[in-house]
Amino acid sequence: MQRKNRTVIAVFLAPAVLLYLVFIVYPFLSSLRYSLYNWDGVGPLKDFVGLKNFTYILFSPQFAGQFWRAVYHNVYFFVLSMILTSIIGLGLAYLLMRIRETASRWLQVIYFIPMVVPPIVVAYLWAMYLEPNDGAIPVLLKALHLNFLNIAFLGSEQWALPVIAVITAWAGMGLPILIFIAALIGVPSEVLEAAKVDGASEFRTFFSVVFPMIKPTFLTITTLNFVGAFGVFDYIFIMEGTQAGPNYATDVIGTLFYRTAFGGFGTTAQGMGLATALAVLGFIIVMMASAILVLMQKRASADL
Amino acid sequence: MQTKRPVISYVLLALYALIVLLPLLDLVSMSFKDLPGIISHPFSIPTSIQWSNYADAWSEGNIGTFLVNTAIVAVVSVVIIVVCSSMAAYVIARFEFRGNQLIYLTFLAGLALPIQMIAVPLFVLMKQLHMLDSLLSVILVYSASGLSFSVFLLVNFIRSVPKDLEEAALLDGASHFQTFYRVILPLVRPALSTVALLNFVSAWNGFFFPLILLSDPNQMTVAVGVLSFVGQYATQWNLLLPALVMVMLPTVIVFIFASRQFIRNMTEGAIKL
Repeated sequence: MQRKNRTVIAVFLAPAVLLYLVFIVYPFLSSLRYSLYNWDGVGPLKDFVGLKNFTYILFSPQFAGQFWRAVYHNVYFFVLSMILTSIIGLGLAYLLMRIRETASRWLQVIYFIPMVVPPIVVAYLWAMYLEPNDGAIPVLLKALHLNFLNIAFLGSEQWALPVIAVITAWAGMGLPILIFIAALIGVPSEVLEAAKVDGASEFRTFFSVVFPMIKPTFLTITTLNFVGAFGVFDYIFIMEGTQAGPNYATDVIGTLFYRTAFGGFGTTAQGMGLATALAVLGFIIVMMASAILVLMQKRASADL
Repeated sequence: MQTKRPVISYVLLALYALIVLLPLLDLVSMSFKDLPGIISHPFSIPTSIQWSNYADAWSEGNIGTFLVNTAIVAVVSVVIIVVCSSMAAYVIARFEFRGNQLIYLTFLAGLALPIQMIAVPLFVLMKQLHMLDSLLSVILVYSASGLSFSVFLLVNFIRSVPKDLEEAALLDGASHFQTFYRVILPLVRPALSTVALLNFVSAWNGFFFPLILLSDPNQMTVAVGVLSFVGQYATQWNLLLPALVMVMLPTVIVFIFASRQFIRNMTEGAIKL
């Protein structure tokens, strides 16, 4: 290769690569290292403890319960958002394909708007609607004579997490809709015509013709939902606080990590070493799931 | 996929549009009401318009400072990301060299990286650099973390553009920099607008990093600013609601302006997810 090209390559890559190395790659590697130390974040790293932070998180009576509860909540969040995005997201995308293009474009814009609204706004808006007794939703439920549903949703151990998952789905539906539309555009119309000629009902066509063809996209959505559900933090922190109340009913890896590293409001930080070990465990879960899903997706695409 | 019964489709689609829009429009309408009107009559048109809500929120709640800070963070991050990612993407998409694939994959891997995985070292690093409580810390973190998706999108986009024009420019004696600036950048403008939009939104809306890196009220961005605002004024909805509207408007307006190109990019294969 000519010398000149090498200079060009170096100059053009340098700014992005430097930024990325210093603020993403280096912190990532540091987290791996910190996780092997007992360290409160001040002073030099010197108390090397090997994998003790990990065994403490996974097996100790003091911490394991909190960890597994958080993982369970993340999984719960994932399952719920998967159900919501599959039914509502795919349903809306399917309907959007059947109407006139101009109308469809406008609706796609509208459906995407909540995705750009800051989470802090979404969180307080819905918190206000959910205010016990006076909020719009309790008022509405009372008007419908559904008094038994007049619950302090965000203050209920049973309801808080599913309600926050629904709010998150409300805010995040725009992207899955667009991804499903991109996939549905790719379904050849001859295939649909053929199904129609064969006398297949619309339901039948959808489940036996369309659905198998968009399976790879479905797996993409699953991956996005999984990464999203394991990264969930903003809404829970804003609506339920550092302690992820009521009584830790909404505690997820994100909030547990925050308390462990930074403490706050009645919790003392337990150390940066322990917190990074927690982050590493979360990272391993996300990586393993993504790897499996990407492999499944490759296979599904190859089958088409 | 035209069918005989579009009416049902339209009804269902309109219903979901209402579910999306009604709360947001209601937020704007409520922000103009007086306090008793907000609590007792949700979903009603305000009887008298209280502009003073906005003035009060701006002055008492420090919202003005938060908005200016957030605008600085969002705009500077977007400029840095657009410049760095387009230059890198050009080289990754068009030059063959050792390490090309490795660099590309390293950028891609950032897409699935949980923020907790970099949070503690970044906090420690910013403390060592004396950048805690400085907007620069958040700008740098957003600039770096925005690169993954931007490089990914631009590499794909540049690869989809034919090479003829650049080759002609290079043959005419243009330097690589001139070719990049005069040929590549105009060609990838549609993708750049999406890069700018998405990064503007995520920097404006970002919550976690301002939360751990900024605690001085004069250096806060809106997300954390509003959190402290609520800590101070609790359920004074007549102050909180106008604050929320002001926090929300910039991203919504920017999105609506850029939306046509964005939707086209997302659904017509410019971005293959």
